[in-house]
Amino acid sequence: MRTIAILAAGLTAALSPVAATSQSMTPMRGEVRSFTDAFAVRVFPGNPYNQRIRVEVHVYDQDFQPVAARITPSAFLLAGQASRPVLVVVPFDGANERKVRICTESIPFPSEQTQIRAQICGKFFGHRRF
Amino acid sequence: MKFLRAAMAASLLAAWAGQTASAATGNVLFNGTITATCTITINSNGTMTVSSNLQSLSSHNAGGSAGSAQVDTTGGVSLSVDPVTTTTVPASDTTATTWTPTFATSGAQTIAETGTATALTAPGTSTVAVNLAGTKGGTNRFSAGNYQATVTLRCE
Repeated sequence: MRTIAILAAGLTAALSPVAATSQSMTPMRGEVRSFTDAFAVRVFPGNPYNQRIRVEVHVYDQDFQPVAARITPSAFLLAGQASRPVLVVVPFDGANERKVRICTESIPFPSEQTQIRAQICGKFFGHRRF
Repeated sequence: MKFLRAAMAASLLAAWAGQTASAATGNVLFNGTITATCTITINSNGTMTVSSNLQSLSSHNAGGSAGSAQVDTTGGVSLSVDPVTTTTVPASDTTATTWTPTFATSGAQTIAETGTATALTAPGTSTVAVNLAGTKGGTNRFSAGNYQATVTLRCE
């Protein structure tokens, strides 16, 4: 399992752009080839506000059903105008390819009558190679 | 003889000087790729008010206000709202409510009020108005107390 994690982490290099501020999440598209039972994506959630917000990262399938992926970290506080890397390792679950959505979610102004949850989702396609 | 040599040298010099200098040129190519990006900035949450017949609790009603957000994108993404699943209602409200979230945009791209996913093709900044309407049917009515609902605005 540790080997898988190391290999998967290595594969994220191709999908790791320079993190930019004021981006809610980059990248928003990606295609990964993996030689293991999982593929990995590194995304950069960003906080465009001047205040600290709580950010959660979730992984969904094409029908927006949750996917049991390893997300490190899955929830965190993000300072204003900052971004940070999040590593997502998605299992193939026996399939040869898998399409997932990786979503960054936050409710910047909670505790009001009609609150808006901002959700930025990227679409990622993992291919398994033997 | 001396004169002949000098004349030949002078004519060769003149012929060489008349030729234009040739310069080598090359093209330097620059490539750039912009991937789709999207930033949502929530400006304000919305406020719902109840209708006179107590069957509508909506940001469209008098005194209500839409939530506001700003979307900055390169284009090539879509904007949508999710069905409302997270609500808080007073304990006295025991009847069903149908919640309908909608959105409309202006600015870089104009989208008329809709509840379905819509492509954002124009790059730039758009302002999004997010509305929410709760309705009750039959003899059911909204009751006194605090209501709260969360609308998910998605860019993907």
